[in-house]
Formats: sequence, structure tokens, C-alpha cells
Amino acid sequence: MTANEILDLLYGTLRTTGIWNFQWNVVVMWAIGSFFMWLAIVKKFEPLLLLPIGFGIFIVNFPMVPLMGTTDGRPELIQAFYHYGLEWEIIPCVIFLGLGAMTDFGPLIANPKTLIIGAGAQLGVFITFTGTVLAGFTLKEAASVGIIGGADGPTTIYLTQHLAPQLLGANALAAYSYMAMVPLIQPPIMKLMTTQKERVIRMRQLRPVSRQEKILFPLITAGIIALLVPSVIPLMGMFMLGNIMKESGVVARLTDTAQGSLMNIVTIFLGVSVGATMHADKFLSWKPLFIFGLGLVDFAVCTIGGILTVKIMNKFLKEKINPLIGAAGVSAVPMAARVAQVEGMKYDKTNHLLMHAVGPNLAGVIGSAAAAGMFIAMFD
Amino acid sequence: MKRMMLLTVILAIGLCGSVFAQQTGEDFLGAPVIEGKVISKTEGRLEIRTPLSHDEALAFYKKQLEGMEDIRYRNWPDQSYIEDDSNRPWHSVTIDKESENGTKVVIMKDNWTWIIGTLILRYVAVFVVLLVLLVGMTVSSKIITKAEKK
Repeated sequence: MTANEILDLLYGTLRTTGIWNFQWNVVVMWAIGSFFMWLAIVKKFEPLLLLPIGFGIFIVNFPMVPLMGTTDGRPELIQAFYHYGLEWEIIPCVIFLGLGAMTDFGPLIANPKTLIIGAGAQLGVFITFTGTVLAGFTLKEAASVGIIGGADGPTTIYLTQHLAPQLLGANALAAYSYMAMVPLIQPPIMKLMTTQKERVIRMRQLRPVSRQEKILFPLITAGIIALLVPSVIPLMGMFMLGNIMKESGVVARLTDTAQGSLMNIVTIFLGVSVGATMHADKFLSWKPLFIFGLGLVDFAVCTIGGILTVKIMNKFLKEKINPLIGAAGVSAVPMAARVAQVEGMKYDKTNHLLMHAVGPNLAGVIGSAAAAGMFIAMFD
Repeated sequence: MKRMMLLTVILAIGLCGSVFAQQTGEDFLGAPVIEGKVISKTEGRLEIRTPLSHDEALAFYKKQLEGMEDIRYRNWPDQSYIEDDSNRPWHSVTIDKESENGTKVVIMKDNWTWIIGTLILRYVAVFVVLLVLLVGMTVSSKIITKAEKK
């Protein structure tokens, strides 16, 4: 074997490695992926999603890795998860099934007025839409960015995949990041928007809710949503199926699977698939940065919308509502409700707002799904 | 010789211009304009009456807009509605289905009134959905409570 032949052999081997095809922009993506893994592991911010998303970003940004393409017409590993899970819009719906199986709608049924707060808190979704259009995004992209403020991960992913799949990574990341940062974002806004007197408003203890009411609730909700916003019924239908499974109490095994194993499995596929969509070639532009910036404004305006809705409602109600629970209308279950509780207790240590805040919190889920349905209906 | 060269240049420019004009055709705010008589034209609206039938006019626009992203076709009972969902300067092309004395085609400029109007409507619609749900829940709760008391 001559020296040239040996060199050729080495050269050929080297060409099959990532080193030969290395591009510097991937280093930025490694940093971004690592940052989200750090948030998950060290800061415990939405670790169930930010960890697989961060790892997905990291691993897909190596040259030549057979993860997000096709080989001989066959999808590679994460591409298959993405194709069947997200492009087919299965994963967000399965997650909603699990969420439904975990959710107790009792506080919302006991105080149905709080549904209005869930609608009011969608203000940011529509305002952000306008801002995004002004920035030069298409209407479909603007709708998918706007829904971030609804603070509902599966709904954001569902709508983005439907209208602007090219923004999936950035939108999902912005939604989950800001959901994790609700305890940092909301308190200053809550303080700014309320008076000392309003923050100490005490609310009457919620009435007990019967089993029949809890069983009937998912049926009524699914029926009304199917009639009024049919485009979002894949999400809401699964949400209510999970809930009726839980409340009926006759399919404990299915409920356990939906809220446990199944939810965990799809969460892994969701996280890693979303992360893997963020390849340096597509991600490194001004758009994701803009989405992150506007997402924050979106969250803030949604919080303001929820609080303002309570204030307006209080003008007409005999029994006043503590406006701090208005902030929970942004969804982000149950984090936003906990924030309302913590903030309330800062001003009156014996005023427990948690259960009262769960109502608007769940109404926010329904409200953001309804807003998503409005956008889908607008463009389909 | 100089005159010949000048003439050649002018001819070449004219030829290029005519070829370009044939390729691009006439447009209004970037939307292709179908042959016909202009009924009215303002900065934001162009109305034409074309001798083509509704189906022919629709086929013309489908061909012209082929390959463009974010174009949506809606088939309404009295007209076909072509809408741009991206950020082009024009917003819609409406083709009437009634074809007496030609087909009416209207091209509208993209405008904020539409965006803001539809957004407000949809925000209100979210309230309506949740209000209907509120009524449903309140009624069902009352029925169940009464039934339980009995």
C-alpha cells in the first residue's frame, strides 16, 4: 500500500465523519440546546419538556446525523416521530387526553362565572397577532405566534403545526419557556394592575360538586365546542374523553394509562421531535428571536386581559372576585393558579385563592383552544 | 453607423419591454387583472366586468396564482372568493357567479380594517363560546341539584 493510498483511505474515512462537514453555526445551536437542558436540570423549569427539547436541539445539530431526514424514502428516527406524531397532529391530542384524565373540573363547575376570565385572558393572543402581522409575518404565522400567550403547550403545537409548521420549534420553545417562567412574569403585572384593597378580597368557599355534574361537564363542553368551534374538537374531544374516563370511575385502568404511561411516552416523542425541528440552517434568523420577544409581551397582555376581565366583572357582581385570580386565566395549569395563591397570601396570609384560581386556569385551557379554533376556522 | 446602432438598441429595448409585458401581464396591487371593461377603479378597489364566464374567470385566476403560497379559494353560493393569507398588497379577488352581461370581478387591497375587524369578531366569539358553556353548565347544575333534592 502506497502512502497516497493510505492518505486516500484516511481521507475517505474522514469524509464520512461529522468533522469534515462541520459548520460553525451549529455551535450556537449546541449552546441553545444546552441552555434549555440547564433550565430543565438546574432550574427545574418545565423539565419534562425542556429536557427532551434541549437534547433534541443539541443532537440534531451535528453534521450528517441521520435523524431528521429520509434515507431511501424512509424517514429517519426523529423524522418518523415528527411525521406521525406532529405532522399528523396526534401527539398534542393524546397529551390532551392525558391532561383530561388528570384534571378535576370541580372548581370551574362550582364557580362557572370564572369561564369568562378564561375568555378575557385571550386578549394577548389577538393583540400579538396584530403585532406579528405588522412585523411582516404572514397571517397564518401571526396566528400561530399569537396563541403562545394562551400558555397552553399542546394547543400552541397543534395550531402551529396546522398553520405554520416552519415556526413549530420556536413557538413551542417560547410557549414552554414562558409557561415555566410564569412565577417570574406574572407577579409584577398582578401588582401593577391591582390595588391593595382588591388583593385582599376574600371569596366564598366553593360549593361541593356532585359526581353527576362532573360526569355531565365533559359531555356538555364537548357538545358545545363541537357545535361552535368544530375545528378544535380533536383537542377538546380528547380532553373531555380523558376527563369523562376519570370522572366516571369505571375505567380506572384506562385513566391510569392515559394520565401516566401514555402521557409520558408521547411527552418524550413530543419534546425530542420539537427540539429536532430546530436545525441551525432554519432556526438561526431574526424570526425566532422576534417570536421570543413578542411571546413575552403576549403573556403579559394575556395576564392583563384576565385581571381586567375580573375588574369589569366586579362592577356587576355582588360577590366580588379577587382580581389576582384573573392572572390564572392564561392557562399554564397549574402554575398560574399557584402564582395567584402565593401572591394572594403575600397580602393576607389566611386568604387561600388556589381553588378559586383553578377555575379561570381551566377556563384558560378551554379559552385558548377556542381561540385556536377561531384561527383554524379563519384559514381553513 | 451610429444611427443604425441607436436604432438597434431602441429596437432591442422595445422588444425586451414587449416580451416582459407579455410575461407579467397587467396587474392591480400585484394581483393579475382579467380581460374586461373596468367599471370602477380606486386606490384600494378594482371592479371589472369580463366577457368570460364565472368558471373561465376562476380558471384564469387559478392558473395565474398557481404555485403561490397562502392563497385560499372559497366557493360561496353567489360568488367565488380568492383570499391571500400572506402579506401581499392585494387581499381578495371576488368573482360573481351570476353572469348576465359578463362576470363581475372585484380585486380588493389588503387592509387593516379586515384584519382588525376579524380579530375583534373572533375575540368576541371566544367570549360567546365560553358564555354558552357557562349557560349550559349553570342550567345542568340546577337540574342536577333539583333532581338530587327530590
